[in-house]
Amino acid sequence: MALRDNAIVAYAETKVMEKSDRDVFVLAGEMLEALLDKTGIDKNEIDGLVMAGLTGTGAANPFWAQTTADVLGLEVGFCEQVHTGGCSAAGCVARAAAAIDYGMCEVAFLLFADTHVLEDRTDHSHSYRREWTDPYGLMGPPGAFGLLSRAYEAKYGLDYGMLGKLAVTQRNHALMNENACEKLRVPITIDDYMNSRMIADPIRLLDCVMRADGAAGLMMMSRKRAREEGLTKCIIPIGYAERTNFKGGENLVDVTKSGHEICGRKALGAAGLGIKDIASFHPYDDFIIAIMLQLEAFGFCKPGEGVQFIRDHDFSYDGDLPLNTGGGQISAGQAACSSHNLVEAVRQLRGEGGKRQVKDTRNALVTGIGWINYGRNWGSSAALVLVPE
Amino acid sequence: MAKALDDTLRVKRTVKHFDFSEPYWEGTRQKKLVIQYCKATGKYQHFPRPVSIFTGKRRDIEWREVSGKGVVFSYTIAHRGTPAFRGTEPYAVASVTLDVGVNFIANLINCTAEEIRVGMKVKPHWHPLEDGTHLLMFQPDRDAK
Repeated sequence: MALRDNAIVAYAETKVMEKSDRDVFVLAGEMLEALLDKTGIDKNEIDGLVMAGLTGTGAANPFWAQTTADVLGLEVGFCEQVHTGGCSAAGCVARAAAAIDYGMCEVAFLLFADTHVLEDRTDHSHSYRREWTDPYGLMGPPGAFGLLSRAYEAKYGLDYGMLGKLAVTQRNHALMNENACEKLRVPITIDDYMNSRMIADPIRLLDCVMRADGAAGLMMMSRKRAREEGLTKCIIPIGYAERTNFKGGENLVDVTKSGHEICGRKALGAAGLGIKDIASFHPYDDFIIAIMLQLEAFGFCKPGEGVQFIRDHDFSYDGDLPLNTGGGQISAGQAACSSHNLVEAVRQLRGEGGKRQVKDTRNALVTGIGWINYGRNWGSSAALVLVPE
Repeated sequence: MAKALDDTLRVKRTVKHFDFSEPYWEGTRQKKLVIQYCKATGKYQHFPRPVSIFTGKRRDIEWREVSGKGVVFSYTIAHRGTPAFRGTEPYAVASVTLDVGVNFIANLINCTAEEIRVGMKVKPHWHPLEDGTHLLMFQPDRDAK
């Protein structure tokens, strides 16, 4: 058994809301019901619950996964919450596959439900922040990405207009995505991006992700079981890697480099693909520059050549490298435990992208970014390669 | 004309320390910058940890006073402050590479936004806190060669 012996057999997703009008458990229930309806699987067949640890609403409850299993009436042999921040969604796929391979469960419900706008119980205080950044007024992720952006600019130069091009492309995709947050479904131009107000110079408002509420879910089982169940249009994970605290035992690292370099090599290697083979790219986007840094880290272009690569390519759904075709988190809203880009990739590979359907559905590369470390870039990196059955 | 940078000195700050950081804060009472040094590898580390990040051992850590001089590695200008800093925007937060080879994030004061450059030489400014400790900030080292 291996990662690629497993299948994502269905996906479900709510519309992204500025603020949820219903409890997070209701959203969880909606995802369960939708996945059962789509697969015809009986609820009692589910014996794995795999949840993202990136939750604001559940953050203060150390029994969040068990509480959720209880609320939904699920009896499971594998009950897991994945704590790699914004890598959790992709990490859930890998862990569910590992659990299925090992025999801990056969049918896994992957749940990404969060209402961190409605009810946020996040507490960062037992971390470096309270002594080493809060006293200086460094504003969380925007401040950290301000430092990161300026460091990149000092090393390589940076044409912010090309970051604007990425922002506009993602926004255009959100305009075609009825599940994107309605507040964000307004057209923007590169000038709008450049003129949006500074938050943590050089980070502008339109660089930043907006927190929002919502849920998504996946169902996974072995490919063998999927065939037995008569489930078609399955999506297969064929390569995965993650790296937490990249160069954490070193000082003065090059902050323009991240664990994605390692993840890319490992995940693509397992998939037997080169980066030029990637048909659509679904990078984690909390800030626009993170997308450009990933283009470099995964080897779409060389370090320092991200701006030129953006200038030379069309990232629209019908362009030469479709990117975050649902709008990304920045234009759809940071909801559902940051599973948006993963679920969009699954949708596209199933050919269910509607108006924004990509032509080439041979594969998709999904990534994660999780947590902000002290004066570097990010704490966790992940990469997941998906193909249709 | 852009608004001048605020020195943020009027912001009330109460810092809750980790117990393993206490030697750092004790040093600041005398305006001394005391950071962790790994005896086994001869390298400094910041922020303070319970172990050497190079060897994983607690016994390899000692504390050494350093100059606090360095160069700006990167900086950001906060136009939207954290709640305690509202009303002081814009203000500068810099990541400074100290001459002993670690980065230290702190406010950069006594300078204009136009003056700040990556690579600019800086020196400490010690801002007194109510508990008798001082908060390390940086200011341009205009006398540096």
